[in-house]
Parts: sequence; C-alpha cells; structure tokens
Amino acid sequence: VRYSAVVVDHFLNPRNAGLMRDPDGVGEDEYEGCGDLARFYVRVRDGRVVEARFQTYGCGPTIAAASAASELVAGRDVEDLVNLKAEEVERALDGLPDDRKHAADVVAGAVRAAALDHLRRRDTDV
Amino acid sequence: VYLDHNASTPVHPEVLAEMLPYFSEVFGNPSSVHGFGRAAREGVDVARERIGRFLSVRPDEIVFTSGGTESDNFAVKGLALARGRGHLITSRIEHHAVLRTCEALEGQGFEVTYLPVDDQGRLDPDDVKRAIRPDTIAISVMHANSEVGTIQPIAEIGAIARERGVPLHIDAVQTFGKISIDVDAMGVGLMSFSGHKIYGPKGVAALYIRRGTKMLAIQHGGEHERRRRAGTENTAGIVGFGKAVEVRAREMADEAARLSALRDRLWEGIRTRVPDCRLNGELANRLPGTANIVFRHVESESIVLGLDLKGIAVSAGSACTAGNVEPSYVLVAMGVPVEWAMGAVRFSLGRATTAEDVDYVVDAIEPIVRKLRDASPGQRAVASA
Repeated sequence: VRYSAVVVDHFLNPRNAGLMRDPDGVGEDEYEGCGDLARFYVRVRDGRVVEARFQTYGCGPTIAAASAASELVAGRDVEDLVNLKAEEVERALDGLPDDRKHAADVVAGAVRAAALDHLRRRDTDV
Repeated sequence: VYLDHNASTPVHPEVLAEMLPYFSEVFGNPSSVHGFGRAAREGVDVARERIGRFLSVRPDEIVFTSGGTESDNFAVKGLALARGRGHLITSRIEHHAVLRTCEALEGQGFEVTYLPVDDQGRLDPDDVKRAIRPDTIAISVMHANSEVGTIQPIAEIGAIARERGVPLHIDAVQTFGKISIDVDAMGVGLMSFSGHKIYGPKGVAALYIRRGTKMLAIQHGGEHERRRRAGTENTAGIVGFGKAVEVRAREMADEAARLSALRDRLWEGIRTRVPDCRLNGELANRLPGTANIVFRHVESESIVLGLDLKGIAVSAGSACTAGNVEPSYVLVAMGVPVEWAMGAVRFSLGRATTAEDVDYVVDAIEPIVRKLRDASPGQRAVASA
C-alpha cells in the first residue's frame, strides 16, 4: 500500500468523527487545489483541549489526518495549537506521499482556525 | 475482486498459449523472405483473417497498431491530413486520444465542433446532422463511453454521415468483442479497437479502414501494413489479439447476458443498501458490465481506497492528482452536479466476475460509505469546478 499503516488505521477507524454541539471553538480550512475540506471543533477547559471532533470531505489521507490530529491535540494548550504545524500532523501519521501532503496542511489549518476561534471567543467574553 | 475490466483485462490462457511460441521459436521478422520470416508472417495473417471474419470485413481493411490511442490518432489525423483543411465533428465525452488529437488539429488550422450529450450521455443524431458543413471532412464518435458505458446511436449517425459523404470514425475500444458490431449496417468508415480490453495482450490494437477511404499514414518508414503503418509487426501481440477475438466470438453473447444480470444485481444491491446514490446513464442501452455510480457527499478516491483495502479494485470517477481534483469531464458533460460527480465510482465486470464477488462488493461498500459520511460535513463548498 502506498500509505503507512497508521494512515490506513485512521482511515478505516476514524476517531472523533462528527459534529460537536456547543463547541468552545470551531474552525475550518479548505485546500483550494482539490477542494478538500476539514472542520475542527474543540472543547476547552482551563486553557486545554479536553475534546476535539472533526468533519472532513476529501481523499482518504485527509480523513486519516483529521482523525490523527483529533488525538494529537487532546490535552494540549490552545495557545500552542494556534501554531500547529502540518509537519507535526504528518509525523503523527508516520508520513504521507508527496502528492498527499496537503492532507496534513488542510487539517493543521483547521485546527489552528479552531484554536484561534476559541481565543477570540474567550477574549470577547472577558 | 477485480471490477476494473474497462481499464484492462487479464490475458486469456488460450491467448497466452498461442502467443508463447512467437517469443522464441517463431521469432522471425514477418517482412523477411526466408522460412523464419514466413512463419511469423503466417501468424500475422491468421490473426488478420480471424479479425476480418469476426467483423465481416476484408482482412486487408485491418491495420495493426500499438494501442487504442494510436488507432484514434491515426484515424483522426489520417483523415484530416489527407484533406489538408476543413472541419471535424466529435463529442465532448470522447477519450482523450480523440479529444486531444482534435485540439492538436485545431492548432494546425482545422476547425472542430465538440457536440454535447444529454443527461444519459447520449449524442443526438440531429445535432450531428446540424453540425455538418460543406467543408466537414470527418466525424469521430465513441461507440460506448468507457466511464459510463452509454452506447451511442451509431447507426443513426452513420446513416447521416453516409448520406452526406463524410467518413465516420468510431472508437470501439470499449465495445469491440463485448457487443455485436456491424460496420456496414452502422455506416462506419473507420473503427479503433484494442486487444487488452478483451483478454488479449497490451500494446496491440487495430484500426479498421473501409476500402477506398482517403487516408494519410501517420507513421512513416517501411512498407508494412500496406504502407499504412510503418514498423516491424508486434508478432506475438498480433497473434494474441487474433486469438482473443476468436475466443470472444465464442463467448461474447453468453457473457454479455451474464454480465448484464450481474451488473443489475450490483446496482440493485447498492441502491437498496446505500442511501443517496444514483446510477449515471440509463440502465438499458449500455455496456453489459459497466455501472457508474455516484455517492453524494463523499469523494470517490476515499471509496476506492476503502474498497482497495478490502481487496476490491474499482476506478474513481474523479481523480486527485498532486492535490488537484477534477470531476470527470464526461459526467460534467452529462450535467451531473459537481457535488455528485466528485463521488463517482466505476464498476466494470468481466469474465471472472461471479455473483459472490458482486455480493461481497455490496456488503463491503455500505459501511465504507456510511463511515465516510459520518465523518463528512455533509455539504461542502465547491472550490473548483
């Protein structure tokens, strides 16, 4: 197979897929080239992500990347996630083929957008 | 489970057996006058006769080529260049071998009309009639579309072409050896057809050229193929092609009926198990083993990957190459909305396909699509279309 075992596992058994009601932050990113779309929802307590959920439309690696990222961000400081890099998502997947790197890009973008959205809401509330 | 027979087929065991001596004992050049050459020539001649008999045409109306793409290039360029200038008619759903050849000819001063198709993927013969101009020099239409399987009304188009004295070329790569073809009744002047779609080897195909058709050769060199196509013959390939045709003559009718039933079983199974899917093109009037099904709100490549991981080979209707995805131009031409077209999957059945295979695929696809939809935002903005 051209994908790593981790990619295949996340693709076949996506974790945390689906909508989240009343999230503390939500963000999405779209890859212009092929229209892949990722949307992330986060629930935050004391500045840390306690739950993340996602919805994606795209090729298999994008679904796998979103699933892996939803585990990756659990327990993380939201302020850090504003700078989440695609490389970190890709590492969690044990690599992606060159022509599928955008899967990590679009997912990292959605996570950053969700983190930013949370910070914006928090600052507006104060 | 291999359901990608429109892409390629395995070589039939009888075909392989017939080919093998031509790689070793019968290695001569068919153009050589000695015994080694004559033996090879004999193999090529037998193949040509078998194909001629199958099509009820003269063997010398068959020109062997290296593949369907070469046959299409030869037909369209050969007709155009022999006339030097003028207007060609084709459709928007042709194989790229015809579409891009026409585009290349436009760059050389020819004019081309690309006719639309209806929502079933069918050309309207009246559109062909209206498109013909005094300077129209050729019409090129595929017999059946490889993605969707819709069979074109060739006999009606052929009658128009004959009446107006315009040569008609058909790309029959997907129909030859699968459904019956009568080039005389259909008014066909030229026809491309290939070996590896009908359990023959890759790298060999043919172009039927009706006697008296004004053509220019595209490939120049020796005197091969009556100076219509230069180059030493692919002897083993041609022998295999001829044998494959002989086997098809025997098996075609029964297999067409069997595959049509299996294809309907596949569509019925998927339709009753998976919501929000639809079949592209009408069920009647299509290639026996082909079903193009779209699944709403999922991307075809992820379905193909999911099925591949279950050992099932199908083909995606949209292809994501280097991060750039485009829905199939054939489905777009049929007016299929992009949000559906992105989830198109082609199933193409063949002689090894069984009812158990079909049921296995139906069982496999339901949870794959359900999981993808669970993870999908449902609606998505269409960025590129």
